[in-house]
Amino acid sequence: MELAFEFFNRIKDADFEYIYNGWFSSQISQKILALAETNVKESASKTSLKNRIYFVMVEGLQNITKHKDDSNINYSNNGMFAIQKNSEQYFITTGNVLKLEEAKVLKPKLEKINVLEKSQLKKLRNKILLDGKISDKGGAGLGLIEMARKSGKKLLFDFENIGHDNSFFYFRTEIPNAGAQKNVTAPSIQDDNQLGNIKKVHKRLKEENILINFNGRFNRNTILNLLSIIKGYINVSLTSRKVYAIMVEMLQNISKHTNNIDGMKKNRGIFYLRVTNNNFILTSGNYVKNKNISIIKKMIEKLNEMNKEQLFKHYDDVLLGLNPVSSEKTGLGFIDMRIKSGNKLNFLFNNIDSELSFFTLQAKVEIK
Amino acid sequence: MKPLIINETEDTPQINLKPDEGIFEISKSSLPENAVEFYKPIIFWLNEYLRSPNKKTTFDFSLDYLNTASSKQVFEIIMLINKISKVSDVLIRWHYDSIDEDMLGLGTRFSHLVKINFEFVEYENDDNFDF
Repeated sequence: MELAFEFFNRIKDADFEYIYNGWFSSQISQKILALAETNVKESASKTSLKNRIYFVMVEGLQNITKHKDDSNINYSNNGMFAIQKNSEQYFITTGNVLKLEEAKVLKPKLEKINVLEKSQLKKLRNKILLDGKISDKGGAGLGLIEMARKSGKKLLFDFENIGHDNSFFYFRTEIPNAGAQKNVTAPSIQDDNQLGNIKKVHKRLKEENILINFNGRFNRNTILNLLSIIKGYINVSLTSRKVYAIMVEMLQNISKHTNNIDGMKKNRGIFYLRVTNNNFILTSGNYVKNKNISIIKKMIEKLNEMNKEQLFKHYDDVLLGLNPVSSEKTGLGFIDMRIKSGNKLNFLFNNIDSELSFFTLQAKVEIK
Repeated sequence: MKPLIINETEDTPQINLKPDEGIFEISKSSLPENAVEFYKPIIFWLNEYLRSPNKKTTFDFSLDYLNTASSKQVFEIIMLINKISKVSDVLIRWHYDSIDEDMLGLGTRFSHLVKINFEFVEYENDDNFDF
Protein backbone atom coordinates (compact mmCIF):
# COMPACT_ATOMS: atom_id res chain seq x y z
CA MET A 1 0.00 0.00 0.00
CA GLU A 2 2.83 2.40 0.81
CA LEU A 3 4.20 1.81 -2.65
CA ALA A 4 2.01 4.32 -4.47
CA PHE A 5 3.11 7.12 -2.17
CA GLU A 6 6.75 6.04 -2.40
CA PHE A 7 6.61 5.99 -6.21
CA PHE A 8 4.73 9.19 -6.34
CA ASN A 9 7.34 10.95 -4.22
CA ARG A 10 10.29 9.43 -6.03
CA ILE A 11 8.79 10.38 -9.33
CA LYS A 12 7.84 13.85 -8.20
CA ASP A 13 11.28 14.51 -6.71
CA ALA A 14 12.91 13.63 -10.01
CA ASP A 15 10.57 16.08 -11.74
CA PHE A 16 8.85 13.53 -13.89
CA GLU A 17 6.12 14.90 -16.05
CA TYR A 18 5.19 11.46 -17.13
CA ILE A 19 6.48 7.93 -16.85
CA TYR A 20 5.22 4.88 -18.64
CA ASN A 21 6.56 1.47 -17.95
CA GLY A 22 5.15 -1.59 -19.57
CA TRP A 23 4.69 -3.51 -22.72
CA PHE A 24 5.49 -1.86 -26.04
CA SER A 25 4.09 -2.35 -29.52
CA SER A 26 3.73 0.13 -32.37
CA GLN A 27 0.09 0.61 -31.47
CA ILE A 28 0.87 1.16 -27.81
CA SER A 29 3.66 3.57 -28.80
CA GLN A 30 1.12 5.71 -30.62
CA LYS A 31 -0.99 5.91 -27.49
CA ILE A 32 2.05 6.71 -25.37
CA LEU A 33 2.96 9.44 -27.79
CA ALA A 34 -0.57 10.82 -27.64
CA LEU A 35 -0.39 10.72 -23.84
CA ALA A 36 2.92 12.56 -23.86
CA GLU A 37 1.72 15.07 -26.41
CA THR A 38 -1.10 16.16 -24.17
CA ASN A 39 1.36 16.77 -21.39
CA VAL A 40 3.84 18.67 -23.54
CA LYS A 41 1.11 20.73 -25.20
CA GLU A 42 0.09 22.00 -21.81
CA SER A 43 3.55 22.78 -20.56
CA ALA A 44 5.80 23.79 -23.48
CA SER A 45 5.19 27.29 -24.67
CA LYS A 46 6.96 27.63 -28.00
CA THR A 47 6.11 25.73 -31.17
CA SER A 48 9.76 25.19 -32.09
CA LEU A 49 10.36 23.63 -28.68
CA LYS A 50 7.27 21.46 -28.96
CA ASN A 51 8.38 20.26 -32.38
CA ARG A 52 11.82 19.33 -31.11
CA ILE A 53 10.33 17.46 -28.16
CA TYR A 54 7.90 15.69 -30.44
CA PHE A 55 10.65 14.65 -32.81
CA VAL A 56 12.77 13.19 -30.03
CA MET A 57 9.78 11.36 -28.57
CA VAL A 58 8.87 9.77 -31.91
CA GLU A 59 12.45 8.68 -32.57
CA GLY A 60 12.81 7.32 -29.06
CA LEU A 61 9.58 5.35 -29.21
CA GLN A 62 10.47 3.99 -32.63
CA ASN A 63 13.79 2.83 -31.25
CA ILE A 64 11.97 0.90 -28.54
CA THR A 65 9.55 -0.89 -30.86
CA LYS A 66 12.16 -1.45 -33.56
CA HIS A 67 14.53 -3.16 -31.21
CA LYS A 68 11.98 -4.93 -29.08
CA ASP A 69 12.59 -8.64 -29.11
CA ASP A 70 9.19 -10.00 -30.10
CA SER A 71 10.29 -13.60 -29.71
CA ASN A 72 10.60 -13.18 -25.99
CA ILE A 73 7.65 -11.31 -24.57
CA ASN A 74 7.60 -11.31 -20.83
CA TYR A 75 7.08 -8.63 -18.26
CA SER A 76 10.76 -8.16 -17.45
CA ASN A 77 11.19 -7.44 -21.12
CA ASN A 78 9.10 -4.30 -21.02
CA GLY A 79 10.22 -0.92 -22.10
CA MET A 80 9.98 2.44 -20.47
CA PHE A 81 9.41 5.99 -21.56
CA ALA A 82 9.70 9.07 -19.41
CA ILE A 83 9.62 12.84 -19.70
CA GLN A 84 11.23 14.97 -17.06
CA LYS A 85 11.09 18.70 -17.04
CA ASN A 86 12.47 21.54 -15.05
CA SER A 87 12.36 25.22 -15.84
CA GLU A 88 15.30 25.10 -18.24
CA GLN A 89 15.07 21.84 -20.06
CA TYR A 90 13.14 18.74 -20.97
CA PHE A 91 14.60 15.26 -20.65
CA ILE A 92 13.25 12.34 -22.61
CA THR A 93 14.38 8.92 -21.50
CA THR A 94 13.65 5.63 -23.14
CA GLY A 95 14.57 2.18 -21.96
CA ASN A 96 14.43 -1.12 -23.76
CA VAL A 97 16.01 -4.53 -23.96
CA LEU A 98 18.75 -5.07 -26.52
CA LYS A 99 20.81 -8.11 -27.42
CA LEU A 100 24.37 -7.76 -26.10
CA GLU A 101 25.70 -7.83 -29.65
CA GLU A 102 23.38 -4.98 -30.65
CA ALA A 103 24.57 -3.02 -27.64
CA LYS A 104 28.16 -3.55 -28.78
CA VAL A 105 27.35 -1.97 -32.14
CA LEU A 106 25.32 0.85 -30.66
CA LYS A 107 27.74 1.99 -27.98
CA PRO A 108 30.55 3.22 -30.25
CA LYS A 109 27.99 4.95 -32.49
CA LEU A 110 26.69 6.93 -29.52
CA GLU A 111 30.18 7.68 -28.26
CA LYS A 112 31.14 8.97 -31.66
CA ILE A 113 28.09 11.20 -31.88
CA ASN A 114 28.84 12.62 -28.45
CA VAL A 115 32.28 13.93 -29.39
CA LEU A 116 31.12 15.64 -32.57
CA GLU A 117 30.39 19.33 -32.85
CA LYS A 118 27.22 20.67 -34.43
CA SER A 119 28.76 21.16 -37.85
CA GLN A 120 30.41 17.74 -37.75
CA LEU A 121 27.07 16.12 -36.92
CA LYS A 122 25.55 17.74 -39.97
CA LYS A 123 28.42 16.49 -42.13
CA LEU A 124 28.02 12.96 -40.76
CA ARG A 125 24.30 13.04 -41.44
CA ASN A 126 24.83 14.11 -45.05
CA LYS A 127 27.47 11.46 -45.54
CA ILE A 128 25.13 8.70 -44.31
CA LEU A 129 22.33 10.02 -46.49
CA LEU A 130 24.60 9.95 -49.54
CA ASP A 131 26.20 6.58 -48.79
CA GLY A 132 22.83 5.08 -47.98
CA LYS A 133 24.21 2.48 -45.61
CA ILE A 134 21.35 1.02 -43.61
CA SER A 135 21.68 -1.47 -40.78
CA ASP A 136 19.59 -4.63 -40.71
CA LYS A 137 17.24 -3.05 -38.17
CA GLY A 138 16.50 -0.36 -40.72
CA GLY A 139 18.49 2.31 -38.95
CA ALA A 140 21.60 4.04 -40.16
CA GLY A 141 22.14 5.82 -36.89
CA LEU A 142 20.42 8.76 -38.56
CA GLY A 143 17.78 8.88 -35.85
CA LEU A 144 20.45 9.14 -33.18
CA ILE A 145 22.28 11.87 -35.07
CA GLU A 146 19.09 13.86 -35.54
CA MET A 147 18.26 13.48 -31.87
CA ALA A 148 21.70 14.80 -30.97
CA ARG A 149 21.20 17.71 -33.37
CA LYS A 150 17.80 18.64 -31.96
CA SER A 151 19.23 18.42 -28.49
CA GLY A 152 22.50 20.25 -28.95
CA LYS A 153 23.67 18.48 -25.79
CA LYS A 154 25.44 15.22 -25.08
CA LEU A 155 23.28 12.12 -25.26
CA LEU A 156 23.27 10.23 -22.00
CA PHE A 157 23.09 6.46 -22.08
CA ASP A 158 23.83 3.33 -20.17
CA PHE A 159 23.72 -0.38 -20.81
CA GLU A 160 22.85 -2.67 -17.94
CA ASN A 161 23.55 -6.33 -18.30
CA ILE A 162 20.36 -8.20 -17.48
CA GLY A 163 21.57 -11.70 -18.31
CA HIS A 164 20.59 -14.13 -21.07
CA ASP A 165 22.79 -12.21 -23.51
CA ASN A 166 20.57 -9.19 -23.06
CA SER A 167 21.24 -5.69 -21.99
CA PHE A 168 18.88 -2.95 -20.87
CA PHE A 169 19.54 0.24 -22.76
CA TYR A 170 18.76 3.54 -21.01
CA PHE A 171 18.89 6.55 -23.27
CA ARG A 172 18.30 10.16 -22.36
CA THR A 173 18.06 13.19 -24.61
CA GLU A 174 18.13 16.65 -23.16
CA ILE A 175 16.23 19.45 -24.86
CA PRO A 176 17.09 22.91 -23.64
CA ASN A 177 14.27 25.39 -23.34
CA ALA A 178 16.24 28.32 -24.69
CA GLY A 179 13.90 31.15 -23.74
CA ALA A 180 13.35 29.98 -20.17
CA GLN A 181 14.36 32.00 -17.18
CA LYS A 182 17.23 30.64 -15.16
CA ASN A 183 15.90 29.29 -11.96
CA VAL A 184 18.53 28.47 -9.40
CA THR A 185 16.23 26.54 -7.12
CA ALA A 186 15.12 24.14 -9.85
CA PRO A 187 16.08 20.54 -9.15
CA SER A 188 19.06 19.55 -11.22
CA ILE A 189 18.08 16.60 -13.31
CA GLN A 190 21.21 17.28 -15.33
CA ASP A 191 23.27 16.42 -12.24
CA ASP A 192 21.84 12.92 -12.46
CA ASN A 193 24.64 11.95 -14.80
CA GLN A 194 24.41 8.26 -14.16
CA LEU A 195 20.67 8.11 -14.76
CA GLY A 196 20.46 6.94 -11.15
CA ASN A 197 17.00 8.26 -10.37
CA ILE A 198 15.36 6.86 -13.41
CA LYS A 199 17.06 3.50 -12.92
CA LYS A 200 15.88 3.31 -9.33
CA VAL A 201 12.28 4.01 -10.30
CA HIS A 202 12.47 1.55 -13.15
CA LYS A 203 13.97 -1.15 -10.94
CA ARG A 204 11.19 -0.80 -8.39
CA LEU A 205 8.53 -1.00 -11.11
CA LYS A 206 10.06 -4.25 -12.33
CA GLU A 207 10.45 -5.72 -8.84
CA GLU A 208 6.77 -5.18 -8.15
CA ASN A 209 5.64 -6.86 -11.37
CA ILE A 210 3.99 -3.71 -12.54
CA LEU A 211 2.43 -4.14 -15.95
CA ILE A 212 1.71 -0.52 -16.49
CA ASN A 213 2.41 2.59 -14.50
CA PHE A 214 1.40 6.09 -15.32
CA ASN A 215 2.23 9.17 -13.38
CA GLY A 216 1.15 12.58 -14.47
CA ARG A 217 -1.91 14.68 -15.14
CA PHE A 218 -5.17 12.83 -15.51
CA ASN A 219 -7.77 14.17 -17.90
CA ARG A 220 -10.10 12.75 -20.56
CA ASN A 221 -7.27 12.28 -23.09
CA THR A 222 -4.89 10.60 -20.68
CA ILE A 223 -7.65 8.32 -19.44
CA LEU A 224 -8.75 7.23 -22.90
CA ASN A 225 -5.18 6.61 -23.99
CA LEU A 226 -4.42 4.60 -20.86
CA LEU A 227 -7.57 2.55 -21.33
CA SER A 228 -6.70 1.70 -24.89
CA ILE A 229 -3.20 0.71 -23.81
CA ILE A 230 -4.64 -1.63 -21.21
CA LYS A 231 -6.97 -3.12 -23.78
CA GLY A 232 -3.90 -4.39 -25.57
CA TYR A 233 -2.78 -6.28 -22.50
CA ILE A 234 -5.55 -8.45 -21.26
CA ASN A 235 -7.59 -11.10 -22.96
CA VAL A 236 -11.31 -11.11 -23.45
CA SER A 237 -12.71 -12.48 -20.25
CA LEU A 238 -14.96 -11.48 -17.44
CA THR A 239 -11.86 -10.84 -15.32
CA SER A 240 -10.49 -8.30 -17.83
CA ARG A 241 -13.86 -6.57 -17.95
CA LYS A 242 -13.81 -6.23 -14.19
CA VAL A 243 -10.24 -4.89 -14.26
CA TYR A 244 -11.22 -2.44 -16.99
CA ALA A 245 -14.30 -1.28 -15.09
CA ILE A 246 -12.37 -0.67 -11.87
CA MET A 247 -9.66 1.10 -13.83
CA VAL A 248 -12.17 3.51 -15.39
CA GLU A 249 -13.59 4.40 -11.99
CA MET A 250 -10.13 4.84 -10.46
CA LEU A 251 -8.81 7.01 -13.29
CA GLN A 252 -11.92 9.18 -13.31
CA ASN A 253 -11.71 9.51 -9.55
CA ILE A 254 -8.14 10.79 -9.84
CA SER A 255 -9.18 13.24 -12.51
CA LYS A 256 -12.20 14.44 -10.55
CA HIS A 257 -10.37 14.80 -7.26
CA THR A 258 -7.30 16.52 -8.60
CA ASN A 259 -9.02 18.92 -10.96
CA ASN A 260 -10.10 21.20 -8.18
CA ILE A 261 -6.77 21.19 -6.40
CA ASP A 262 -4.53 24.10 -7.32
CA GLY A 263 -0.86 24.57 -6.95
CA MET A 264 2.36 23.11 -8.19
CA LYS A 265 2.04 19.48 -9.19
CA LYS A 266 -0.91 18.86 -6.96
CA ASN A 267 -3.06 17.97 -9.94
CA ARG A 268 -1.02 14.86 -10.58
CA GLY A 269 -1.85 11.33 -9.76
CA ILE A 270 -0.50 7.84 -10.15
CA PHE A 271 -2.06 4.66 -11.40
CA TYR A 272 -0.51 1.24 -11.71
CA LEU A 273 -1.61 -2.26 -12.48
CA ARG A 274 0.22 -5.22 -11.00
CA VAL A 275 -0.20 -8.84 -11.81
CA THR A 276 0.60 -11.70 -9.46
CA ASN A 277 -0.04 -15.41 -10.00
CA ASN A 278 -3.62 -15.17 -8.84
CA ASN A 279 -4.62 -11.53 -8.94
CA PHE A 280 -4.69 -8.28 -10.79
CA ILE A 281 -4.05 -5.47 -8.34
CA LEU A 282 -5.08 -1.96 -9.29
CA THR A 283 -3.76 1.01 -7.37
CA SER A 284 -4.50 4.70 -7.68
CA GLY A 285 -2.98 7.57 -5.76
CA ASN A 286 -3.82 11.25 -5.68
CA TYR A 287 -4.08 14.25 -3.41
CA VAL A 288 -7.34 14.83 -1.60
CA LYS A 289 -8.43 17.64 0.65
CA ASN A 290 -8.18 16.75 4.33
CA LYS A 291 -11.76 17.80 4.92
CA ASN A 292 -12.91 15.00 2.58
CA ILE A 293 -10.96 12.23 4.31
CA SER A 294 -13.52 11.25 6.91
CA ILE A 295 -16.33 10.90 4.38
CA ILE A 296 -14.20 8.76 2.03
CA LYS A 297 -12.99 6.63 4.92
CA LYS A 298 -16.47 6.07 6.28
CA MET A 299 -17.81 5.20 2.86
CA ILE A 300 -15.16 2.57 2.08
CA GLU A 301 -15.22 1.06 5.57
CA LYS A 302 -18.97 0.68 5.34
CA LEU A 303 -18.69 -1.02 1.93
CA ASN A 304 -15.96 -3.35 3.18
CA GLU A 305 -18.31 -4.64 5.88
CA MET A 306 -21.03 -5.53 3.40
CA ASN A 307 -21.68 -8.85 1.72
CA LYS A 308 -22.65 -9.18 -1.93
CA GLU A 309 -26.42 -8.88 -1.42
CA GLN A 310 -26.01 -5.84 0.83
CA LEU A 311 -23.74 -4.23 -1.76
CA PHE A 312 -26.28 -4.70 -4.54
CA LYS A 313 -29.04 -3.40 -2.30
CA HIS A 314 -26.91 -0.38 -1.45
CA TYR A 315 -26.17 0.22 -5.14
CA ASP A 316 -29.90 0.18 -5.93
CA ASP A 317 -30.67 2.52 -3.04
CA VAL A 318 -28.15 5.01 -4.39
CA LEU A 319 -29.66 4.71 -7.88
CA LEU A 320 -33.09 5.39 -6.45
CA GLY A 321 -31.70 8.39 -4.61
CA LEU A 322 -32.48 6.85 -1.22
CA ASN A 323 -28.98 6.95 0.09
CA PRO A 324 -26.89 9.74 -1.35
CA VAL A 325 -23.55 10.50 0.27
CA SER A 326 -23.89 14.16 -0.59
CA SER A 327 -25.60 16.18 -3.27
CA GLU A 328 -22.88 15.79 -5.88
CA LYS A 329 -21.23 12.55 -4.79
CA THR A 330 -23.20 9.37 -5.23
CA GLY A 331 -20.50 7.01 -4.03
CA LEU A 332 -21.55 4.69 -6.84
CA GLY A 333 -17.96 4.38 -8.05
CA PHE A 334 -16.70 2.90 -4.79
CA ILE A 335 -19.68 0.52 -4.58
CA ASP A 336 -19.07 -0.70 -8.11
CA MET A 337 -15.34 -1.17 -7.50
CA ARG A 338 -16.10 -3.13 -4.36
CA ILE A 339 -18.63 -5.34 -6.23
CA LYS A 340 -16.41 -5.91 -9.27
CA SER A 341 -13.39 -6.64 -7.09
CA GLY A 342 -15.21 -9.16 -4.91
CA ASN A 343 -12.69 -8.24 -2.22
CA LYS A 344 -12.27 -5.52 0.35
CA LEU A 345 -10.86 -2.24 -0.93
CA ASN A 346 -7.60 -1.21 0.67
CA PHE A 347 -6.88 2.43 1.31
CA LEU A 348 -4.37 4.69 2.95
CA PHE A 349 -4.03 8.40 3.66
CA ASN A 350 -0.59 10.00 3.98
CA ASN A 351 -0.78 13.46 5.43
CA ILE A 352 0.97 16.12 3.36
CA ASP A 353 0.10 19.37 5.10
CA SER A 354 -2.78 21.11 6.82
CA GLU A 355 -4.84 21.10 3.65
CA LEU A 356 -3.95 17.98 1.70
CA SER A 357 -3.30 14.28 2.08
CA PHE A 358 -2.24 11.62 -0.38
CA PHE A 359 -4.96 9.02 -0.89
CA THR A 360 -4.03 5.52 -2.05
CA LEU A 361 -6.78 3.14 -3.13
CA GLN A 362 -6.24 -0.48 -4.03
CA ALA A 363 -8.56 -3.10 -5.50
CA LYS A 364 -7.84 -6.74 -6.21
CA VAL A 365 -9.44 -8.90 -8.90
CA GLU A 366 -8.87 -12.64 -8.75
CA ILE A 367 -7.80 -14.21 -12.02
CA LYS A 368 -10.30 -16.93 -12.83
CA MET B 1 -41.35 14.26 -33.60
CA LYS B 2 -37.79 14.98 -34.68
CA PRO B 3 -35.37 12.08 -34.27
CA LEU B 4 -32.35 12.38 -31.98
CA ILE B 5 -29.16 10.86 -33.32
CA ILE B 6 -25.84 11.23 -31.54
CA ASN B 7 -22.88 9.47 -33.06
CA GLU B 8 -20.62 7.43 -30.83
CA THR B 9 -17.25 8.70 -29.72
CA GLU B 10 -14.45 6.93 -27.89
CA ASP B 11 -16.24 7.41 -24.58
CA THR B 12 -19.88 8.12 -25.41
CA PRO B 13 -22.49 5.75 -26.87
CA GLN B 14 -24.41 5.77 -30.15
CA ILE B 15 -27.87 7.20 -29.68
CA ASN B 16 -30.60 6.46 -32.20
CA LEU B 17 -34.01 7.75 -31.25
CA LYS B 18 -36.20 7.58 -34.35
CA PRO B 19 -39.87 7.27 -33.35
CA ASP B 20 -41.10 7.33 -36.97
CA GLU B 21 -39.14 4.17 -37.63
CA GLY B 22 -39.88 2.70 -34.21
CA ILE B 23 -36.18 2.75 -33.30
CA PHE B 24 -35.08 3.60 -29.77
CA GLU B 25 -31.54 2.50 -29.23
CA ILE B 26 -28.49 3.14 -27.07
CA SER B 27 -25.42 1.15 -28.01
CA LYS B 28 -21.60 0.84 -27.72
CA SER B 29 -19.65 2.12 -24.72
CA SER B 30 -20.57 4.84 -22.28
CA LEU B 31 -17.85 6.16 -20.00
CA PRO B 32 -17.87 9.95 -20.07
CA GLU B 33 -16.62 11.56 -16.90
CA ASN B 34 -19.47 14.03 -17.06
CA ALA B 35 -22.35 11.69 -17.81
CA VAL B 36 -25.02 14.14 -16.63
CA GLU B 37 -23.96 16.57 -19.35
CA PHE B 38 -23.98 13.92 -22.07
CA TYR B 39 -27.37 12.43 -21.17
CA LYS B 40 -29.12 15.77 -20.66
CA PRO B 41 -30.39 16.14 -24.27
CA ILE B 42 -31.49 12.50 -24.31
CA ILE B 43 -33.51 12.89 -21.16
CA PHE B 44 -34.96 16.14 -22.50
CA TRP B 45 -35.93 14.39 -25.74
CA LEU B 46 -37.59 11.51 -23.89
CA ASN B 47 -39.59 13.95 -21.79
CA GLU B 48 -40.89 15.47 -25.03
CA TYR B 49 -41.63 12.03 -26.43
CA LEU B 50 -43.59 11.19 -23.27
CA ARG B 51 -46.20 13.81 -24.32
CA SER B 52 -47.25 11.94 -27.45
CA PRO B 53 -45.57 8.56 -27.66
CA ASN B 54 -46.06 5.84 -30.26
CA LYS B 55 -48.54 3.12 -29.47
CA LYS B 56 -45.63 0.80 -29.00
CA THR B 57 -42.12 1.65 -27.77
CA THR B 58 -39.36 -0.96 -27.86
CA PHE B 59 -36.15 0.30 -26.35
CA ASP B 60 -32.87 -1.45 -27.11
CA PHE B 61 -29.96 -1.11 -24.71
CA SER B 62 -26.94 -2.68 -26.31
CA LEU B 63 -24.04 -1.50 -24.22
CA ASP B 64 -20.55 -2.96 -24.08
CA TYR B 65 -19.51 -0.95 -21.14
CA LEU B 66 -21.00 1.51 -18.67
CA ASN B 67 -19.12 3.50 -16.07
CA THR B 68 -20.98 4.21 -12.84
CA ALA B 69 -21.73 7.81 -13.79
CA SER B 70 -23.44 6.47 -16.94
CA SER B 71 -25.30 3.72 -15.05
CA LYS B 72 -26.96 6.41 -13.00
CA GLN B 73 -28.05 8.26 -16.15
CA VAL B 74 -29.18 5.08 -17.90
CA PHE B 75 -31.29 4.34 -14.85
CA GLU B 76 -32.78 7.85 -15.14
CA ILE B 77 -33.73 6.94 -18.70
CA ILE B 78 -35.29 3.69 -17.55
CA MET B 79 -37.34 5.60 -14.98
CA LEU B 80 -38.55 7.83 -17.80
CA ILE B 81 -39.42 4.80 -19.92
CA ASN B 82 -41.33 3.57 -16.89
CA LYS B 83 -43.42 6.75 -17.14
CA ILE B 84 -43.84 6.25 -20.88
CA SER B 85 -45.10 2.72 -20.18
CA LYS B 86 -48.25 4.24 -18.69
CA VAL B 87 -49.19 5.68 -22.10
CA SER B 88 -47.45 3.33 -24.52
CA ASP B 89 -46.89 -0.39 -24.83
CA VAL B 90 -43.29 -0.61 -23.67
CA LEU B 91 -40.61 -3.28 -23.91
CA ILE B 92 -36.96 -2.96 -22.95
CA ARG B 93 -34.56 -5.28 -24.73
CA TRP B 94 -31.36 -5.51 -22.71
CA HIS B 95 -28.55 -6.91 -24.89
CA TYR B 96 -25.45 -8.32 -23.28
CA ASP B 97 -22.30 -10.10 -24.33
CA SER B 98 -22.55 -13.79 -23.48
CA ILE B 99 -19.51 -13.66 -21.16
CA ASP B 100 -20.54 -10.43 -19.46
CA GLU B 101 -22.52 -11.58 -16.46
CA ASP B 102 -22.01 -8.17 -14.83
CA MET B 103 -23.91 -6.43 -17.66
CA LEU B 104 -26.68 -9.04 -17.40
CA GLY B 105 -26.72 -8.55 -13.62
CA LEU B 106 -27.03 -4.78 -13.96
CA GLY B 107 -29.97 -5.11 -16.37
CA THR B 108 -31.64 -7.64 -14.10
CA ARG B 109 -31.33 -5.33 -11.11
CA PHE B 110 -32.67 -2.40 -13.15
CA SER B 111 -35.64 -4.56 -14.20
CA HIS B 112 -36.52 -5.22 -10.55
CA LEU B 113 -36.65 -1.52 -9.76
CA VAL B 114 -39.31 -0.63 -12.35
CA LYS B 115 -42.52 -2.09 -13.71
CA ILE B 116 -41.58 -2.60 -17.35
CA ASN B 117 -41.24 -5.74 -19.45
CA PHE B 118 -37.58 -6.60 -19.88
CA GLU B 119 -36.27 -9.04 -22.41
CA PHE B 120 -32.67 -10.19 -22.08
CA VAL B 121 -30.88 -10.83 -25.33
CA GLU B 122 -27.54 -12.55 -25.32
CA TYR B 123 -25.11 -11.91 -28.15
CA GLU B 124 -21.87 -13.65 -28.97
CA ASN B 125 -18.74 -11.70 -28.35
CA ASP B 126 -17.56 -10.18 -31.61
CA ASP B 127 -14.73 -7.71 -31.52
CA ASN B 128 -16.85 -4.99 -29.99
CA PHE B 129 -14.85 -5.08 -26.86
CA ASP B 130 -11.43 -5.71 -28.25
CA PHE B 131 -9.33 -6.30 -25.19
